[in-house]
Amino acid sequence: MIRFRNLIDALDAAPDERPFVTAWIDEDERETVTFAEFRRRARGQAGVLRDHGVTAGDRVVVLMPQGIPAMTTFVGAMMLGAVPAFLAYPNFKVEPAKYRAGLAGVTANLSAKAVVIDERFPEEMLGHVSLSDETKLLRAGAGKEPGDLKEFPLPTIQADSLAFIQHSAGTTGLQKGVALTHGAVLRQIEHLAQALKIDGATDSVYSWLPLYHDMGLIACFMLPMVCHMPVVMQSPLDWVMQPEAMLQIVSECKCTLAWMPNFAFQFVPRRVPQSRWAQYDLSSIRALINCSEPVRASSMLEFQNVFAAIGLRSHALQSCYAMAENVFAVTQSDVYRPFAPTVIWADGQRFRGAHQIVPVKEGTAGAVSFTSSGRLLPNHEVRIVSDSGAALGDGSVGEILVKSDCLFEGYYNRPDLTAQAIVDGWYHTGDLGFSQDGELYVVGRKKDLLIIGGENIYPQDIEEIIGGHPAIHDGRVIALGVYNPDLGTEEIIAVAEVERQEDLVHAMEIEREIRSRVVAGLGVAVRTILLKPPKWIVKSTAGKAARSATREKLLQQHPELNVEP
Amino acid sequence: MTTEAQQMIEHIVQLIRKPGVTIEENTPLVSSGLIDSMALVDLLLKLEDLTHMRIPAGKVQPKDMDTVAKMFATAQRVGKPRK
Repeated sequence: MIRFRNLIDALDAAPDERPFVTAWIDEDERETVTFAEFRRRARGQAGVLRDHGVTAGDRVVVLMPQGIPAMTTFVGAMMLGAVPAFLAYPNFKVEPAKYRAGLAGVTANLSAKAVVIDERFPEEMLGHVSLSDETKLLRAGAGKEPGDLKEFPLPTIQADSLAFIQHSAGTTGLQKGVALTHGAVLRQIEHLAQALKIDGATDSVYSWLPLYHDMGLIACFMLPMVCHMPVVMQSPLDWVMQPEAMLQIVSECKCTLAWMPNFAFQFVPRRVPQSRWAQYDLSSIRALINCSEPVRASSMLEFQNVFAAIGLRSHALQSCYAMAENVFAVTQSDVYRPFAPTVIWADGQRFRGAHQIVPVKEGTAGAVSFTSSGRLLPNHEVRIVSDSGAALGDGSVGEILVKSDCLFEGYYNRPDLTAQAIVDGWYHTGDLGFSQDGELYVVGRKKDLLIIGGENIYPQDIEEIIGGHPAIHDGRVIALGVYNPDLGTEEIIAVAEVERQEDLVHAMEIEREIRSRVVAGLGVAVRTILLKPPKWIVKSTAGKAARSATREKLLQQHPELNVEP
Repeated sequence: MTTEAQQMIEHIVQLIRKPGVTIEENTPLVSSGLIDSMALVDLLLKLEDLTHMRIPAGKVQPKDMDTVAKMFATAQRVGKPRK
């Protein structure tokens, strides 16, 4: 692979006529742009941004629906040496006031020079959005046509300049902007391309992943751009409403690579009617990579078993461990090994009680299984540490620390958070895992982050909304993510204390109000709400609700929730 | 109400399994938190079954699926005959 100085040089080197992005709406409605056309449109967007005063180093927020215009705006900003960031497009369920407050917070933290929206951006979501004086709101497409633009010189971008900012969680209030340099992104892509043996002339990517997450942005946009590889993409919402489209697109476009979070490996086979499977052909896929949630062998096996009949190769299913703070992947399973990745069975009691992995035979009573996330990419190191920070050996579970040549510069404008996250060059991931024979296994998260259908949600955000209900005792709410094996993802269970015992008479009404408040605030649905009398939630010595103790009490009293301990 | 709309309501009641909740043609489902986005696929499949049409998700927004009445209007607008 050629070494480029920056991401724009990599795009400039792509063959003119090769297709780059195909935006798929339906079988009879799609648009493909070649690398030359993509460059032309991105340059047009660069011109529009430049006319509005955007220059090198300025932050630009891109708030557009998934598609080619959002991507050319993002790259157009980078062409000027500016630093773009994708944010999630407003979800119709979210209350406009909440959305505006979140947006104002993020743009203020980035001190963005411009916020670019599309022509159909819902007015009510903007209203009186309090953007600071130096932030301009631009409507894409309202500027000049790219063809009318005069040529203008683009700045030279250095490898150590910031390329863009990735946001690590969906809830805007607490968002951390992960700042990445061109050099770091290019080094990650070089390692990943090598591990996956990517050939831009023969490979192509299928994606439904949102561009504001690392999987969508890095694996399915930057990697194809730098490796000169086509990508066929649809919007995440289209996919979730009709996962059958994945089978249709892969069959028709003969895509060879795709990334998905764990739940998708169950969602697709269970939500596409069996009578339609035979219409499709998945033989073109050489790597379908499970990443972002702890990888579960059962989910991958389900996908494999169902789709082997329509050509899915036995060695196509792969895994990786990735995070925005490292641009993307830390590990990747071996794409040439059949029936990868490795699965280990371990004694359940020793795992829970002593955080030790003691291998046992597959299927032994009480055993737990872990699926490997693969081996480290080149120039990557991982250290597993105990709560006291001591380095642990193979088979001991602890927090995963990462050091690499593509680690982030820090959380944008948040030196406080950066200092907590990177200590002596090691990034503290907050994930729990262990190493065994040179492979990394991720077993869960140390931090209280919920991953609902691949989306990161902070439980504090849910608790704050529920605690705001007049009948609920503020601060006596716990939101938990519990794994639902049928869905292959976590779902939200909330326990809340009412102010007065007699409020429980109106439980149904309160529950309904809480449900709609959470959806309006965060765009996610709570699966189960359990209202409890005062003093039910276990408190810590500091008087705050104690999460893990409450979780245990809840699971004990509600076996019907059917939760893994 | 049409028989199809009635059948859709029965399907939704089964899907959400929340005793005491009544669903009518204009009850908000997605915006009220009764249905999460991962359940939209079931509604779209059922809608395809009931209308005997193919409904491309690329032409449907979740807000078009927020009530039973809107679902059938959406099917009318973007549905295509099954191959």
